[in-house]
Amino acid sequence: MADRYDIAIVGSGPAGISAAINAKIRNKNIIIFGSKNLSAKLYKAPKINNYLGFPEISGEILKKEFEKHLDKMNINITYERINAVYSMGDYFTLMVNEKVYESTALILATGVEYTKSIKGEEEFLGKGVGYCATCDAPLYKGKIVTIIGYNNEGEEDANYVSELASKTYYLPMYKGEYKLKEKIELLNGKPIEIKGNNFVSKLILNNREIETDGIFILKDSVPPGQLVPGLLIENSHIKVNRNMETNIKGCYAAGDCVGRPYQYMKAAGEGQVAALNAVAYIDSLKKL
Amino acid sequence: MIKEVMDNNFNEEINAGNMPVVVDFWAPWCGPCKMLGPVLEELEREYEGRVKFIKVNVDNNPIVSQKFRIASIPTVMVFKNGEVKDQIIGFRPKDAMKEFIEKHI
Repeated sequence: MADRYDIAIVGSGPAGISAAINAKIRNKNIIIFGSKNLSAKLYKAPKINNYLGFPEISGEILKKEFEKHLDKMNINITYERINAVYSMGDYFTLMVNEKVYESTALILATGVEYTKSIKGEEEFLGKGVGYCATCDAPLYKGKIVTIIGYNNEGEEDANYVSELASKTYYLPMYKGEYKLKEKIELLNGKPIEIKGNNFVSKLILNNREIETDGIFILKDSVPPGQLVPGLLIENSHIKVNRNMETNIKGCYAAGDCVGRPYQYMKAAGEGQVAALNAVAYIDSLKKL
Repeated sequence: MIKEVMDNNFNEEINAGNMPVVVDFWAPWCGPCKMLGPVLEELEREYEGRVKFIKVNVDNNPIVSQKFRIASIPTVMVFKNGEVKDQIIGFRPKDAMKEFIEKHI
């Protein structure tokens, strides 16, 4: 049995950090998942003029200030990527490959996905298009599979799939050295459209067409609707109310993932609101 | 306990008079399927006498899986009078799964 945390926070940008700090102040047992950079967008910001109290600060310095704050509060970020979160009724199960975490409440602070979807991607989702190659690969035994990888983790998945599929294509969306098995055919080009009748049959690239039965699209981050199955999305953002509650009981969301404007202070404020409401939710469960 | 159905008895099992039949296509290597299993077990108890639940292991039953072109699991299908009425792909929380099933009662 995994230890059950009071609150699990997914994302270490301003919304996630602010949620973590506020939940910790309220003495909750928390876990926060994120990256060493905290947030790639924050780290890369040249100059920030609208973060109260820090005029003309660079993203890199603001990130260091956030880190100092986290250290002072004894909050450690868990550098793991959550693949999926399942709402089990009165708790959540968070999956990191084969590893499992549990929490009573959940705060999503995943930011926004800038990777635009490919034409046909949504239409054929579950009908040949998938986001988890290792999950569905056995269903493509003896078939043709194409993997579109947005980072080098895709190479490992392609190697795995190639053991089952009759033919595997790999289309990298990044530059680098590709560690692929010999039988995998490397594509270069841009994906334009996914085509088929009821099921996927073709991937159209700018320079050629590929006949394929399945297409796995492996992005840097999983869109929130895929990350938490059953989560209500509206206009490509997570739908929340003023308490930052989503449609799933005990699940909150904050920051860019809930909508515009995409700003640090808004994110931090929402993270705080989400954390305080998550705390109230947990306390209400304990009274029952 | 949800009944495990195979290629050879699938056609009989999806006929349950007027009762909707919920079919869970799953496999032991599939993480989301493991999460969905207990959710459906609970629902089977709650809908006793109103909805029939069965499950098909796609690894062992290629005929049925290919017939319904299962391309992603878990896939949950609802049959009525032996015909597919509806399907959803992927895990759903209990409330959402309930809503999905109740449309067909």
